[in-house]
Amino acid sequence: MATKLSAPFLVRHEFLLRRLHSLSGLVPVGAYMVVHLITNATIWSGAGTFQRAVNQIHSLGPVLPLVEWAFIFLPILFHGLYGIVIIRSGLPNNGSYSYFTNIRYTLQRASGLIAFLFIMWHVFHMHGWIHNSQWREFIEGIGGKFFPFNAATTATDAIQASFLIRAAYFVGVVACVFHLANGIWTMGITWGLWTTPEAQRKANCVAGSIGAVLLGIGLLAWAGFALRSSDSDAERALENKIIDARIEAGQITEGEAKHKRVPTEKKRSSADVGETVLGET
Amino acid sequence: MADTSSKPDHFEVRVLRQDGPQASSYWERHRVRYEPDMNVISVLQRIASQSQTVDGKEVSPVAWECNCLEEVCGACTMVVNGRVRQACTALVDRLMAEQESDIELQPMSKFPVQRDLVVERRRMFRGLEKSKAWVTVDTYGPMGAGPRISQTEQENNYPLSQCMSCGCCLEACPQYTKVELVQGDSESDDAFAERQDSTFDGEFVGAHAISQVMLFNGHPIAKNDANERLDSLMAPGGIQVCGNAQNCVAVCPKEIPLTTSIARAGRATTVRAITKFFG
Ligand code: HEM
Ligand code: SF4
Ligand code: SF4
Ligand code: FES
Repeated sequence: MATKLSAPFLVRHEFLLRRLHSLSGLVPVGAYMVVHLITNATIWSGAGTFQRAVNQIHSLGPVLPLVEWAFIFLPILFHGLYGIVIIRSGLPNNGSYSYFTNIRYTLQRASGLIAFLFIMWHVFHMHGWIHNSQWREFIEGIGGKFFPFNAATTATDAIQASFLIRAAYFVGVVACVFHLANGIWTMGITWGLWTTPEAQRKANCVAGSIGAVLLGIGLLAWAGFALRSSDSDAERALENKIIDARIEAGQITEGEAKHKRVPTEKKRSSADVGETVLGET
Repeated sequence: MADTSSKPDHFEVRVLRQDGPQASSYWERHRVRYEPDMNVISVLQRIASQSQTVDGKEVSPVAWECNCLEEVCGACTMVVNGRVRQACTALVDRLMAEQESDIELQPMSKFPVQRDLVVERRRMFRGLEKSKAWVTVDTYGPMGAGPRISQTEQENNYPLSQCMSCGCCLEACPQYTKVELVQGDSESDDAFAERQDSTFDGEFVGAHAISQVMLFNGHPIAKNDANERLDSLMAPGGIQVCGNAQNCVAVCPKEIPLTTSIARAGRATTVRAITKFFG
C-alpha cells in the first residue's frame, strides 16, 4: 500500500503522527502536568517550601528555556495543534448514540480544546513564554505577574486578581485532569495494552482512580492559590529573605535576582492585593 | 408476545426520501394499518402498495433493499428511529414499546444515497479489498488436508467471521465521515470507479475491515499475508484514525468484538512499525 509521494505530509505520515500524538500526551506532557500539579500543591506547606521547589527549577539557569521548550512547550504545542487537526477530522454524534464511551470521546475533544486555550493563556499569564526582561515588562502591564523568586505571593496575587481568573483556573485544571485520565485509557487501546472488554473495564477503573487522585492534587493546588488566605506581607518578607540569603551565599547573582523578583521600586501596596483575597486578616 | 389490545389501528411512518443521487432529500409521511408482528420491511411493503401519503397525495413507491430477511445479509440496513439497524429485524411492536410516536426511517448517512433508503456501500468493499480480507491460495490443484485449527483459535475467529458488511459500525462511528464523489460528464465508469477507490483509500477504513484483518491474520493459511494487511492498516485512513468512541461495538448486530480487534490490531501495528523501523 505505497502512499503517493504527492500526498500532503500530514496524510503520508498519519500513522506515525497519531502514535507520536498519543505518546506525547503521556510523556512528556502528561508526566510534566503531574509533577507541575504536585509542585503547586506544596504551597500548602508554606511560601518557603514552595519557593524552594521553584528555586530548584530555576537552578537550571541559562538552560532552563531550552529545557522548557524542548520538553514542555514544543511537545504541548505539537500535541495541541495536531489534536485540533484530529478534532476537525471527526463528527461527534452523541445525539443519536449516547453510549458512555461515545460521550467520553466527545469530552476528550472538548477538554482538549479547553486545555489548549487554558494552557496558552496560563503560560502567558504566569510566564510570558520567553525569558526576556523587556517582553516581561510589557506583558506585566497587560496581566503577566509572576516573579519566580517571589513565587507564592505573586502567583497568589495573579490568580486572586478576579473571580474570572479563579474560575478559569478551576475549569482549566479539571479539564486537563479529565483529559489525561481518559487519555490514559484510550492510549492503552491505541497501543494494544488492554484488548478484551474485561481488560478494558479493569483499565477503566485504574485510569479512573489515577484521575481521581490527580483531581484531588489538582484542586488542592488550585485552592492553594485561588482560595488560601495568608499573611501576604509576611510571606513576601520571607521570600525576600530567601533571595537575600542566596545572593549572599553566592548561589545567584544580584543581576539574576533583579529579573526574577518583584521590582523593589514597585513596593507592594495593600491595593495591589485587592479586596478579593478571601478572608485576609 | 405482543399485547395487541393496546395497539393503535394505524400508525404513522416518516420517511426521508431522495429521488436520485445528489438530489435533495425531503420528509414524507405515510399512514399504515397496524397488524401484529410487523417488521419495518412489511411496513415498507404496505407503504409501497399504498403509494399514498397521509394527505392522500399519490407518490412513487419508497425504494429500499432487502434480501435474507433474517439479519444475515445486511442489505436492509437503515436508520430506524435515529439508530442504525437492520429493517428486517426492527419489529414494530418493539419500536412502539421503545418510543410511543411515529416510526422514522432514514437512509444511512455515511454512504451516498442512490434512491430513498438505498445507499451505495462501495467504500466498504474497497476497504476489504485494500486490507486483503481473503485467503490467498495460489493453486487450483489439491493441496491435501489443511492445517489443524485449535479450539481457542476457532473460538477467537468464529465471531469475527460473522461480519455481514452491513455498515452499522461505520454509520455509528464519529471518525467515519461520508465521502460522495460525482461522476464527471466525460468520465468513463472505469475512470470514476478508480477515482472513487483512490479517494476511499485515504479515508478511514473503519472497524469492520480492521476486524477482518485480525480474522485473516489469525487464519493458518491467510497468515502468509499478515504483514501486508498490517501495512494497509498503517497507511493513511488506517487504524490510527480510530478515536476509541466504541460506538461500533455497541451497534454491531452480530456482536462482533470490534474494539478487541481494534486493540489487537493496535498492538500488531505497533510491533510491525517498530520491526520495520529497525529493518
Ligand atoms: C495538559 C495537557 C494535555 C495532556 C496531559 C494530554 C494528554 C493526552 C493523552 C494521554 C491522550 C491519549 C492519547 C491516545 O488516546 O492515544 C490525549 C489524547 C488527545 N488529546 Fe491531549 N493532552 C493535553 C492537551 C491537549 C490539547 C491542548 C489538545 C488539543 C486541543 C488535545 C487534544 C487531544 C485529542 C484530540 C486526543 C484524542 C486523540 C485520539 O483519540 O486519537 N490534548 N491527550
Ligand atoms: S462488523 Fe458488525 S456492524 Fe460492522 S459491518 Fe460487520 S456485521 Fe455490520
Ligand atoms: S472505536 Fe474507533 S472504529 Fe469504533 S466507533 Fe469508535 S472511532 Fe469508530
Ligand atoms: S434483509 Fe438481510 S439483513 Fe435484513
